[in-house]
Amino acid sequence: MSFRRFTFHTSKNRGKWLSALLWVPVGLVFTKCGYTVMAVRGTSMQPTLNPEPLIRRDIAVFDRYSVSSLHDVRRGDIVAFKSPGNANELLVKRVLALEGDVVQTLPPYPDKEVTIPAGHSWVEGDESFRTFDSNRFGPIPLGLVDSKVMFILWPLNRFGWLSSTTGGEKISSQGSPWRKGHAEVERERWRSSRVTVKSKLD
Amino acid sequence: MFRNQILSTLRHGLGYCTKYPLTVALRLVQGFCVAHLFNEYVGGFRLVQGPSMMPTFSPNPEMRGDLVVAVSPRDPRALVCKRIIGLPGDVVCVDPTGEYAPSTEHVYVPKGHLWLMGDNASWSRDSRTYGPVPMALIRGIIVARVSRRPHV
Repeated sequence: MSFRRFTFHTSKNRGKWLSALLWVPVGLVFTKCGYTVMAVRGTSMQPTLNPEPLIRRDIAVFDRYSVSSLHDVRRGDIVAFKSPGNANELLVKRVLALEGDVVQTLPPYPDKEVTIPAGHSWVEGDESFRTFDSNRFGPIPLGLVDSKVMFILWPLNRFGWLSSTTGGEKISSQGSPWRKGHAEVERERWRSSRVTVKSKLD
Repeated sequence: MFRNQILSTLRHGLGYCTKYPLTVALRLVQGFCVAHLFNEYVGGFRLVQGPSMMPTFSPNPEMRGDLVVAVSPRDPRALVCKRIIGLPGDVVCVDPTGEYAPSTEHVYVPKGHLWLMGDNASWSRDSRTYGPVPMALIRGIIVARVSRRPHV
């Protein structure tokens, strides 16, 4: 029994099938630890994701590598995380605050202000009226975070890196792109006004 | 004779490695991926350390009393090993020892969460400090102990 005969030269066809089959785990590991493509459902991240949910769903590339290997989650990132109440469900929200920050909460939450505990984060949808987020279930452990939204694949008119989808258009001082950009800046300002970032001196 | 066979297989293997280094490298990558998937989704070995489970060490999924390994809610890089005290819907006493909360305080474990505690209550940071733990953080149930380090 020689090594060579045992592995590949049994029969030409079978060897081919076997070596094709051996690439399946490589692909699986790539999607579990690297990058994956998923469709986004629901309206809670409007207008950043799914601005026209009745017509089409957004399809985006999610970056698992920087979350699971580098543990790099920042304020402002849009993340997919496992719902704290249901381990089989992924939710997509924006990270508002990380550990040590103080957040002014929105109505359904019982307390007016929360200090985020160690290893936790505060997540909210961009559309604050129809969203199931930290204002309902409180700060979430960072261990629940699965991936970051990195790149929008579909629809094609918003194809591109996530950060450039809003700022990338040429903004003139009037017209709808300008108004959109202005609204975006206003929302961003409102969001950050509710978060007191923990100072580095403490 | 058996030894000769092993030696010849090794020699053939070595020859193969030098002849087709790229193929061998690819097979190694594939093997690594298979091992990683198995470890992640089926079962694997973990080193348990720290005093919080000091006095001790069921294949049924998630029962009260099972030992589980979970991602720490306080640090996503760390794994913790604790015992399941309460399942979703249970009412549990927050801290029977009265250390972190009055021993009369009881809470309801929400849907999709577990109440975890270390066996060595005086030296364990668990649900008494960080509350119920989402099931999504549970990485597995401890089935058997493989070995014990002599001096911990």
